Amino acid sequence: MSKLTEKHNYKGTLVCVEGIDGSGKSTQLTLLRDWLKSIGQDVIFTEWNSSELICQTTKLAKKKNMLSPRTFSLLHAVDFADRLKQVIDPALKAGFIVLADRYAYTAFARDVARGVEPQWVRNVYNFAIKPDLAIYFDINPKDSMERICANRAPKFYEAGMDLKLSNDPYESYMIFQGRVINEYQKMVDEFGLVKLDAMDSIHSKQVRIREMLKSVLNNKGVNI
Amino acid sequence: MTQFKTKHGYEGLLIVIEGTDGSGKSTQLELLKRSIQAQSYGVIISEWKTSRLIANVIDDAKERNLLNATTYSLLYAADFADRLENTIIPALKSGFIVLLDRYYYTALARDVVRGQDIEWVKNLYDYAPEPDLVFYLDMPVDVLLKRIIGTTGLNYYESGRDVGFSSDFYKSFEIYQNKCLEQYDKMKSEYNFISIDGTKSIDEIHSIMNHEVQKILDSGVLY
Repeated sequence: MSKLTEKHNYKGTLVCVEGIDGSGKSTQLTLLRDWLKSIGQDVIFTEWNSSELICQTTKLAKKKNMLSPRTFSLLHAVDFADRLKQVIDPALKAGFIVLADRYAYTAFARDVARGVEPQWVRNVYNFAIKPDLAIYFDINPKDSMERICANRAPKFYEAGMDLKLSNDPYESYMIFQGRVINEYQKMVDEFGLVKLDAMDSIHSKQVRIREMLKSVLNNKGVNI
Repeated sequence: MTQFKTKHGYEGLLIVIEGTDGSGKSTQLELLKRSIQAQSYGVIISEWKTSRLIANVIDDAKERNLLNATTYSLLYAADFADRLENTIIPALKSGFIVLLDRYYYTALARDVVRGQDIEWVKNLYDYAPEPDLVFYLDMPVDVLLKRIIGTTGLNYYESGRDVGFSSDFYKSFEIYQNKCLEQYDKMKSEYNFISIDGTKSIDEIHSIMNHEVQKILDSGVLY
């Protein structure tokens, strides 16, 4: 049985943002964090592939293009497990609002887009805690590419070049990220992700997010 | 005569030696390698936790006590995936006999002793090819203890100190290795281990293993 489908009993609150690169999720999370801090809430922020244990190895391996889809998946699972046990779990116990820039859903979307079996990767992450609020920023591959590739070419893994979909990184990016988006779309129902249109204004998205968070906190008896 | 078929469908053969630390696995692998080589077959050895990519991370993390039970499992699984896809499967595809010092049975034993759910661990490795032969060197804990104390000495993780059974090294090793042996015992029939008494002489063990390998070679599967 996966913890990802069961409501948690921690004092704290877990919020995550999901979506492909350029969907504006980090901007929204930063705005949310700064606001929560300014009103005196206990809040911490944790980011995908940032654990001290493994993130340097993963980055190095990516640079050398030496990762198979399965190894890629497992290394990110190590990172996630490390942050979950060291950062997220203790903070939730202490009653913090934990803001996660990407969560297990990122693995489900990317790894499956790379050809890893959907059930396999869901089983790998079955120790993940179910977020109180999971927001998915929906964007199409073209808009995403225009945003992130304004002054650089897409990177090897971000473009899914390991899958040999196309020799052209831009074309490969479009195909690969299209697959990733397709996986995210499926998860809206499967995991109850809240879908927001990434092309809406920064302000209107932030208003929606604060409303949703307030309502989550209200249900726990916290008024902000 | 029916043609022998490999279980995994690749051209080569996958042969595993399992057993706890100090059970004599590497000695036997070397002997097996030599006798197979002598018959002009292509043979390679691959050892547990030796991927270029991840083995160092595991050693470093162990040294600095950075691992919990979940990251421990996942790092070993990543090491395995890397070796499997970069070394083992390519060798099998080109018709090599691949001799493995430990396989996923090691992870099943160690991770379950560290409190992981067995189904979760099995899932981590469920894509791995099934070996053609699995030898298991069965050793009683008291013999193991003597061997290890007399050679490498007791190390923190081999003694399961991270699991917190006891702060006494000797006691912890005894409990930990006994629990690992229990897990191996359960796997014997499930995975068709050829169990060999590890207290037998090196030559005796080798001749048992060689006999089993020879049967497969004689079936002509690699011709």
